[in-house]
Amino acid sequence: MQKTEKKSIKKHKMTLSKKRSITGYLFIMPWLLGFLLFYVRSLYMTMEFSMSELIVPPGGGYSLSFVGFTNYIYAFFAHGSFVQVLATSVLNMMIDVPLIIFFSLFMALLLNKKFTGRTLVRAIFFLPVILNSGAIVDAMEMSRAMMAGGLSTVSAELTTSSSSVNVGYYIELFKNLAMPDILLDYIVAAVSRISEIITASGVQIIIFIAALQSIPGSMYEVAQIEGATGYETFWKVTFPMVMPHIITNVVYTVVDNFIDSEVVDLAFETAFTNYQYGLSSAMSLVSTVITCLILFIVVWFIQKKTFYYN
Amino acid sequence: MAEANLQKRKFFKLKPTKLNRSRAGNGLLFGLMIICGLFMVLPLVMIVNNALKPLDELFQFPPKIFVRNPTLESFSDLFVLMNDTWVPFSRYILNTLIITIGGTVGHVLVASLAAYPLAKHDFPGKKTLFRMVVLSMMFSWTVTQIPNYMIISWLHINNTYAALILPAWQFGMGLYLMKQFMEQLPDSLMESARLDGASEYSIFFKIVMPNVKPAWLTLAIFQFQQMWGNTGGMFLRNEELKPLQYALQQITAGGAARAGASAAVTFIIAAIPITFFLVCQSNILETMTTSGMKE
Repeated sequence: MQKTEKKSIKKHKMTLSKKRSITGYLFIMPWLLGFLLFYVRSLYMTMEFSMSELIVPPGGGYSLSFVGFTNYIYAFFAHGSFVQVLATSVLNMMIDVPLIIFFSLFMALLLNKKFTGRTLVRAIFFLPVILNSGAIVDAMEMSRAMMAGGLSTVSAELTTSSSSVNVGYYIELFKNLAMPDILLDYIVAAVSRISEIITASGVQIIIFIAALQSIPGSMYEVAQIEGATGYETFWKVTFPMVMPHIITNVVYTVVDNFIDSEVVDLAFETAFTNYQYGLSSAMSLVSTVITCLILFIVVWFIQKKTFYYN
Repeated sequence: MAEANLQKRKFFKLKPTKLNRSRAGNGLLFGLMIICGLFMVLPLVMIVNNALKPLDELFQFPPKIFVRNPTLESFSDLFVLMNDTWVPFSRYILNTLIITIGGTVGHVLVASLAAYPLAKHDFPGKKTLFRMVVLSMMFSWTVTQIPNYMIISWLHINNTYAALILPAWQFGMGLYLMKQFMEQLPDSLMESARLDGASEYSIFFKIVMPNVKPAWLTLAIFQFQQMWGNTGGMFLRNEELKPLQYALQQITAGGAARAGASAAVTFIIAAIPITFFLVCQSNILETMTTSGMKE
């Protein structure tokens, strides 16, 4: 309170940058208040939970008893599957994120062209996001079950007959061609996740479309006048201009991927099936920190190569 | 418009030798797009057809994707069914609309307001704040349910719309998205407005926001989607406050006897976000960020 009074008295002596930073804080205020209230507090409480054992007495309420890092130590060294699940989740993320980014950039470039029914086609690629809400999934599941009564017997017959493509043969073939195992594993994992990747890129596509729309048309005009080919225009104009949004999309994809990952499921199960709230909090904190570290490294790396228009 | 002309020129008015290659490439790309698109549109086709199927066709074996005798029976079933409940169907729709519109408008406004200084001003603590935002995005709601519930009841907004709307305003993703787009605006645009004596508020509403229209329309699309999918879960206990998604869950839980009504609600729930998406997307046009600039 004192500080603000002082400032208002000395207003005529404030430097321009000081003045601006105050307006800056004013603009952030509504967001910051809610953020502190809902997110920072919940983060703090989760940290508190992870360091203690939470006991819910029969009468209601709860009590915390401080146990230090026991929960973390238990998660890493004694828990049956935590480390393994964490590693799998991180690996899956490594596979999915670059593919989703490439696919959605590619799709956005196509959908940004002028053709009739463009908005409709864009809507189609956004459909998975819309239809992904819990209640719709339930309803779809029910109508599927109604149809499946007889269908399941048919599909059972189908699966017994051998599939026409022998995948193992091809994998052997590429191995004999001395392709590195890591690359091969990556490709196999990527191919088997194609449908997931397509469904997960709805939001990324529309972010890229918005990014492409923000590129001033005059830039393309200049490129055209200078005689640039389509290939050159993409690498010299389009790509540098959407670069900052590649970061946005990497962040979004990692977050989206992480929230659906097995680690989160495990933490959820630990909390609500086994009632080990402390352990669950420790698990989610550890996985959050690890994902954040990966994210910051990746973003820092891309940021070094990013071109900002100003 | 300039871009549209350009695209046309690029693809159809090049030298004849290049034209063929470009056309063949386009054909291939669109072929690929159609294949991907077909897979995505299939669930929607099923939803629409199921909503129009009479009851006997819903249970037909072998099942058909396309409806033979389209009727609106399911919709009238739905309204008859909902007449018997003590909360009228329109009330669920109203609840969903309040939550969705409140959450979307508030979020777009609050996130854009906060993103502007983060992108274009310098002040102490800016970087730390921004890192916190990224960290907060990682915190999934499923895991922090307990602290969240405690905070909501500590604020005494449990069992009100505010319990769903207020936390939605602070989602980190919107802030992040808006910041990235605002960073690309040329500084000289704001500088010239300042020289003309515009206050920060009028710069924000008259210069910044119109120029990042694609960004906030995009943000509105997915915030709308997120709020629309909300079932109210543990925060809303009163039946007359619950949203449409919750009603759908209840109807679906009724099993085969309510198959028609369930198909009809699914259609309504899926149709509105799609409409919203179409309206927003057709409004995303090239902004004229640099058209007023002279180097």
